[in-house]
Amino acid sequence: MSVDLAVRLGPLALRNPIATASGTFGYGLEFEGYVDLGGLGAISVKGLSRRPCHGNPPPRICEVDAGMLNAIGLQNIGIDTFLGERLPLLHAKGATVIANIWGDTEDEYVEVLERIGDDARVAAIELNVSCPNVVKGGMVFGNDPVALAALVKRCRVATKLPLVVKLSPNSGDIVAAARAAVDSGADILSLINTLVGLAIDLERREPKIGFTTGGLSGPAIRPIALRMVWEVRRALPNVPLFGMGGIETVENVLEFLVAGATAVQVGTANFRDPFVSGRLVKELAAWCDRHGVDRVADLVGTLKTRPRPEHTFAKA
Amino acid sequence: MPVNEELRVLKTLSYDATHYSLFVQAGSIGALTRPGHFAMLQAGDGLRPYLRRAFSIADVTTVAGVPALEFVVKVVGVGTAALAHFAEGTPLPVLGPLGVPFPIDDLGRDDRVALVAGGIGLAPLVLLSRVLAARGVTAELFYGGRNEKDVLKRADFERFLGAHRCAYATDDGSLGRKGLVTELLQRELSAGKTYKRLYACGPVPLFRALARIADEADLETSFALESEMACGFGVCLGCVVPARDGRFATVCKEGPCLPHTAIDWSRV
Repeated sequence: MSVDLAVRLGPLALRNPIATASGTFGYGLEFEGYVDLGGLGAISVKGLSRRPCHGNPPPRICEVDAGMLNAIGLQNIGIDTFLGERLPLLHAKGATVIANIWGDTEDEYVEVLERIGDDARVAAIELNVSCPNVVKGGMVFGNDPVALAALVKRCRVATKLPLVVKLSPNSGDIVAAARAAVDSGADILSLINTLVGLAIDLERREPKIGFTTGGLSGPAIRPIALRMVWEVRRALPNVPLFGMGGIETVENVLEFLVAGATAVQVGTANFRDPFVSGRLVKELAAWCDRHGVDRVADLVGTLKTRPRPEHTFAKA
Repeated sequence: MPVNEELRVLKTLSYDATHYSLFVQAGSIGALTRPGHFAMLQAGDGLRPYLRRAFSIADVTTVAGVPALEFVVKVVGVGTAALAHFAEGTPLPVLGPLGVPFPIDDLGRDDRVALVAGGIGLAPLVLLSRVLAARGVTAELFYGGRNEKDVLKRADFERFLGAHRCAYATDDGSLGRKGLVTELLQRELSAGKTYKRLYACGPVPLFRALARIADEADLETSFALESEMACGFGVCLGCVVPARDGRFATVCKEGPCLPHTAIDWSRV
């Protein structure tokens, strides 16, 4: 039996639901030899800004139980180098490219979008409004639904490409942020970005990360990510979602699909095992085959929940 | 192109409570390895440690006739502790060889170079010593540690380089000169000795001191830098050092072997 792995997220059609998450897959080409780049659902590249960005001073990362903290600070080669040098190579490999972009101001987001224009080699735009590791921009938009709405509206006007908004789990109310993004023109939402965390070097009584706090990623955050995907799906059942957070195995992929994501992004696992995303594509097909699933899209949002009971007290 | 292989543990050789050598099968990584390369090792498939760990490939050697990679490890956390406890025959995922190795292709029989190690920084200098010796390059080792226990694999260095070309310094004087390893090098330079290149690995204060010495003596250098890494192949951008051009350079891809002039020591 051949399994149909194709999924559609609004205007974005993917050959399968396994994508890679921005910041964990470089510009894709670093994984040549490990992964068939054209065989992935999509590649969301390292967040691009209008000019190359140096990022934060080290130390930038530390391992924690079941994951890691990072405060890279959005180091990237800039939109022009990406479009001129990396995108042509990625396109030649047959990769479906999602351009993840960011800016300190609305104008800077728009400037990046104008450089991309309607370049058909870019399958979608992903707005990073949820990076916790920069002082300006980033999460400032993601944590305020009003600021987020204004930004998404301007970006919606500035590009005709499918528009993904990547949501922050740090905002308190992710459903409010999701609504603001969709009402302002987002086609697709991706969630979750990293959770703000702190790790301490006890001997020095200093944070282990130079930025003080860092974004927590890896298996440690998976239950939170699943819960948020499920909440957003329940509130906005017609909005296609990329789910992510601590995906390591094919079972993890399926959990996100069942919770309501149409596709997933594999993140931190790429660091530990550079082959993982390509392997998950094959394992997903095999799992569906074993379980008699013809179309992987049929699994999306199939979580069966029971009504939550009210608590009861013992009789006096 | 680096290779990812499951390589079986051949032997673990403990030096003391915090230092050991881990020998794994060389696989196809052995033949690709040049001095200064490193590899990412995964200690089991659990969640603690979660990430792979970066180690210099200390030597490409044999264990009971079997081609082997040697890693010299100091226990500093959960990963280095876990790697000490794998039984012979356990397969470990190893990605390597990675990074930019030491520049040595321009060296010949008439050249003399200096090798400076601090503590666990000996690791990349073992294979370097072996290769330079095989090429007939004169290499002098200056190796420092807190005490005698910190100064590892002396027999190998002395076999490759000759005992008369190996000088040691310890903080407590338990081995060699009491004092800093840089004083050993300074003494040679003050006596008018010249070196075509200085190769070094150790903690940041040692690098900082050597950078100063190299500037004063107009010495060319190659420093094997150490940094925490999540990936090892230029993607996570977690391992960077401040570069003199204002950027942050990746230790894993642009390094680990970099000239001291590439680094902005005022920002390290």
